[in-house]
Amino acid sequence: MAQSTSSRSLAGLKAPRFSLGKTDAALGMGLVAPVLICLMTLVVYPFIFAVYISFTDRTVGAQVVNFVGFDNFRYIFGTQGFQESVRNTLVMVFVLQSMKLVLGLGIASVLNQAIRGRTVFRGLTLLPWAMPAFVAYLLWKYMFDPTQAGAFNMILIDVFGTQLDFLSSRELAMPSVIIASFWRGFPFWVISFLAAMQNISPELYEAAAIDGASAWKRFRHITLPSIQHVILVVTLLSTIWTTNSFENVWLMTGGGPSNATMTFPVLAYYGLQTLRLGEASAVSVSMLPIFAILAFVVVNLLLKED
Amino acid sequence: MATRLSLIQKIIAYGSLAALALFILFPVYFMAITSLKTVRDIYRLPSLLPVNPTLINYEQLIGTWKFLDAIRNSLIVASATTLVSVFISALAAYSLVRLRYKFRNWAGRLIMFSYLTPSSLLFIPLAVIVAQLGISNTHQGLIFVYLTFSAPLSTWLLMGYFRGIPVDYDEQAMVDGCTRLGAFFRVVLPLSVPGLIACSVFTFTGAWNELLLSLIFITDPALRTVPVAVSYLITGDTVRMGLIMAASIVSALPIMILYFIAQRFVVQGLGAGGVKA
Repeated sequence: MAQSTSSRSLAGLKAPRFSLGKTDAALGMGLVAPVLICLMTLVVYPFIFAVYISFTDRTVGAQVVNFVGFDNFRYIFGTQGFQESVRNTLVMVFVLQSMKLVLGLGIASVLNQAIRGRTVFRGLTLLPWAMPAFVAYLLWKYMFDPTQAGAFNMILIDVFGTQLDFLSSRELAMPSVIIASFWRGFPFWVISFLAAMQNISPELYEAAAIDGASAWKRFRHITLPSIQHVILVVTLLSTIWTTNSFENVWLMTGGGPSNATMTFPVLAYYGLQTLRLGEASAVSVSMLPIFAILAFVVVNLLLKED
Repeated sequence: MATRLSLIQKIIAYGSLAALALFILFPVYFMAITSLKTVRDIYRLPSLLPVNPTLINYEQLIGTWKFLDAIRNSLIVASATTLVSVFISALAAYSLVRLRYKFRNWAGRLIMFSYLTPSSLLFIPLAVIVAQLGISNTHQGLIFVYLTFSAPLSTWLLMGYFRGIPVDYDEQAMVDGCTRLGAFFRVVLPLSVPGLIACSVFTFTGAWNELLLSLIFITDPALRTVPVAVSYLITGDTVRMGLIMAASIVSALPIMILYFIAQRFVVQGLGAGGVKA
C-alpha cells in the first residue's frame, strides 16, 4: 500500500505533533453531529417520551392528555395477559439462552478441532443466521403445521400414526417457538465462540496434553477461562435481543393459544393496535429496569475492552 | 490445533456434526420442496420428497401478488438506509477515534446505549413522532427510523477499524498537504474497506429483514417492504403454504448470497462489535 511506504520513509523522524486546537474540536463535533442528531430524535427523545406516555392516559387522537401517575402500571400488573407475558418471556429467555450457551460452546469446540470439512461446517452454521428472521420463523411455522402438511406431523403420521398440535396446544407452543428461535439464534454464539477459541495459543493445549489433561479438563481449564469475556458479552447482548424478539412469537403463534406464548413485545404491539398508548407504553417501560442493568454492564465491559 | 483426536472422539465429533447439518438443512430443504408444490399436492400427497414439482407458486407470487413491487420497495429502503447510515457513521466514528473535544466520551457512550436500546421500547413513541413529522407511510420515514439500529452499530464497528489504523498515516497525509478531512477520505477510508463492507452488509440485511417498524409505519399496500408483504400472505389458515414458502425463498436468497460472498468480512465484523441477531 502506498500509504505504508510513505510513512516508512519517515520512520526515522519523529512524527510531528499536531496541535489539536479549536478547529479540530469544531470538526470533531461537526462530524459526530449527524449521528447524534439522529439518535437524539430517534432514540433519546422517544425513550423519554415512552416513559412519559406510560404515566399518562394518552390514546391516539386524544385532545386532552392527563397525568395518571402509576395507574397504567397498576392496571397492567393486574391483568392476566401481562403476568403471563412476563412469565413466558422469562421462561423463553432462560431456556433459550441456556441451550445456546451449552450447545454453542459444544458445537464451537467440535468445530475448533482438526477435523476434515470444518470449513464447510462453519459456512453451514452461518446459514440460519444469514436467513432473514421472518423467513426462518415462517419456515418453522410450517414445519410445525398441525395438519399432515407439516414436516413433523408428516413423519409422526408415518411412524406413529398420530399427529400433534405443535403451535396450538398450550403445552407444545412454547417449546416449539423455543426450538425455532434456537435454530435461528445459535449461529451467532457458535461463530463468536469459535473466533475467540481460535485466538487461544495452541501451546497451552500442547502443554496440557503432555501433562495428560483430559479433553474435559483442557476445556474447563484452558478454553473456558480464555474466552470468558466473549462468553459474557455474547450472553448479555443476546439476552437483550432475545428478550425483545417480536418476530418469532408474532409470526408463529401470535402469542396464543390463549396467551401461552405471549411475550411482552407482542403484548405491547397489541397494545398499540388498541390505540391505548399509555397502557401499551407501560408494558414496555416496565421491562426497562432489566434492560438498563444489562445495557449498563455490556457498555462497561465493551469500553473496558478498548 | 495440534492435539490429535482418538477414534472415539472422531466418531463423536463427526456424529454430532452430522446431526447439526441435518438440523440446519432439513428445514431449508422442506421450504424448498414445499415451494415447488401445488396447494392440492401439499395436502393430498404429503411427502418429504418433491412431488409433481411446479413453479406455479413463483408465477403467482410475481403475477397475482406483485411481489416484485415489494422487492423494489425493500431495495430502495435498504440501499438508502445503508448509504446514509454508513456515511454518517463513518464520519462519527472518525471523529470519536481521532479527534479530541469536550463531550467526546459522552457521545461515545450515548451511541453504545442507543445500540442496546430495545426497539420494543421505542416503537410506540416512534409511531407518534413519525406521525407528527408527517412522514408515516413513506419510504423516507422508514429509512429515517432504521437509522436507530444501523447508525450505532456501524459507528461502533467502524470505530474498531479506524483504531486499527495507525495515527501516523493521517499525520503523514497531513504533512503531505492533505486537510484532516482529506486524510480521512484518502487514507483512512480506503484502508477500512473491509469494515465498510461489513457495516454495509449488516445495515442492508437489517433493513431488508426488519418487520416490526415496517408493519407499523407502512400501511399503503403499494409501499410495503418484503417482510410486511410476506406476513400479509398469512391469513390465519395455511392454504397458501406453497406460496409463502416461495415468497420466503425469494426474499431470503439475495440476503443469503450477500452474506456468503461477504462471509469473511461479516465474521470479522461480528468479532469486532457483536451484531443484532
